Amino acid sequence: MSEIKVLGEYTILTDRKYLETDEWVKLEGDIAIIGISDYAQKKLKDIVGVEFKEPGTKVKKGDLVAEVESIKSRGEVYAPFNGEIIEVNTRLEEEPDIINSDPYGEGWLVKIKPDNPADYEKLLSPEEYAKTIEEREKS
Amino acid sequence: MTLKKSPLHEVHVELKASFEEFAGWYMPITYTSGIKEHLAVREKAGVFDVSHMGRIKITGGDDALVFLQKLVPKELSKIGPGSMSGPTAFLNENAGFKDDVMLYNSGSEWYIVCNAVNREKILDWLNKWKTEWGANVGIEDITFDIVMMALQGPSSAELMEKIGLSKALELKMMQFHRNLESSYGKVFLVSRSGWTGEDGFEIWATPEIGAKIFKALVGYGATPAGLAARDTLRLEMGFVLYGHDIDENTTPVEARYWVWTPGKTGYIGYEALREVLKKGVDKIRVGVKMKKKVKAIPRGGDLVTVEGEVIGEVTSGNYSPTMKRGIGMAYVDSRHALIGLEIEANIRGRGYPGKLVDFPILKK
Repeated sequence: MSEIKVLGEYTILTDRKYLETDEWVKLEGDIAIIGISDYAQKKLKDIVGVEFKEPGTKVKKGDLVAEVESIKSRGEVYAPFNGEIIEVNTRLEEEPDIINSDPYGEGWLVKIKPDNPADYEKLLSPEEYAKTIEEREKS
Repeated sequence: MTLKKSPLHEVHVELKASFEEFAGWYMPITYTSGIKEHLAVREKAGVFDVSHMGRIKITGGDDALVFLQKLVPKELSKIGPGSMSGPTAFLNENAGFKDDVMLYNSGSEWYIVCNAVNREKILDWLNKWKTEWGANVGIEDITFDIVMMALQGPSSAELMEKIGLSKALELKMMQFHRNLESSYGKVFLVSRSGWTGEDGFEIWATPEIGAKIFKALVGYGATPAGLAARDTLRLEMGFVLYGHDIDENTTPVEARYWVWTPGKTGYIGYEALREVLKKGVDKIRVGVKMKKKVKAIPRGGDLVTVEGEVIGEVTSGNYSPTMKRGIGMAYVDSRHALIGLEIEANIRGRGYPGKLVDFPILKK
């Protein structure tokens, strides 16, 4: 799988898209899988708890779908587009640190069925997301 | 504003620390994982660079004692040479905290350790009163000349022996030695103290000798630990963090922070403190312990409620790596400050169950 390394430290996988708020979104068929980026997990550090919105919840773009607690702060995970939460990664309730060890794989957070799958195309490309990280680290 | 860096910065870079701003300093937050560093301190030993802490020397012999006596609410005449005051404070005229500090009686001079965030304010405060009273004392900021490290945890004493500081083992809590010879050169001060609730030592040395000692301690098995672990450790013990849990508008009474000696008079803030003691307080600092299954963690600013009724506010909170749940401290109105009371911590508008507990939150 190809990837981009930003500032020699933060991995961005190129098989998916991103939000400026550090979520990644991957389409599998008509289902979007959502997690947080390597940059986000590195900023949050030790993740100690996750809370989800219930499966079945209808969400609008920008709605809170999950919260990630770390010993440093509280991270919020937003819906990338309108849709319905169809599944949450309940394994993280017992082992939240999987997000630290495997943010792009086993550490996925929620699955959403988008109302309009074409919305996916509007998200940030890996290259665009890499730029937002560089910008933030500059300041 | 350029951030200040510890003289040990390069050592932390070598140890692959990640850094963040704290009180104007660019300090190690973690080296590997805050949780691992925290548990290392509880189970074995961890070493922290705390060179951001302000350190001020007050010279002038008896005049130094007289000067400090008028500035802190703790009786200092009982603190002999080689002893520390324990936590005390500079209070403002309203008995609010200018800062919480530790004083060291080194015979002809005293040392003050203050919070990094308050260093300049405290220097100004000391100089203002020196001028006002015409005090014949010297006030010298040695923060940048001398590094300060905290070795904390049950195996600290063994590690002190390994670095040639076995003489420090004779110290009791809140005692210190000056100018001890270590395997890496002379150290400025070694005290038996810390801010984690564990046995431990704080070592002051020149940056050069300090760097060698820090690396040697890590080499002998101390886990380098950052400010994230320092925060969760102090929280388990119920120790306050200035700017979060106390400030200029908080009195030691409502903070239940016993920084004064009853019966002592004539210091700044005394009259106001006495009034507060006579009148009582409206809010009280207590611990908050979440139910084990709750994943949400209370943080500063979260409201504490009972049956939806607001009774207080969290001032700091985090995950307790030892107790594996969210904990915090809160100011609760005094009619509700009942240890054992079941409460809700309102985290993003949702109430999560927990209860009010006394300090230390971690019972050992």
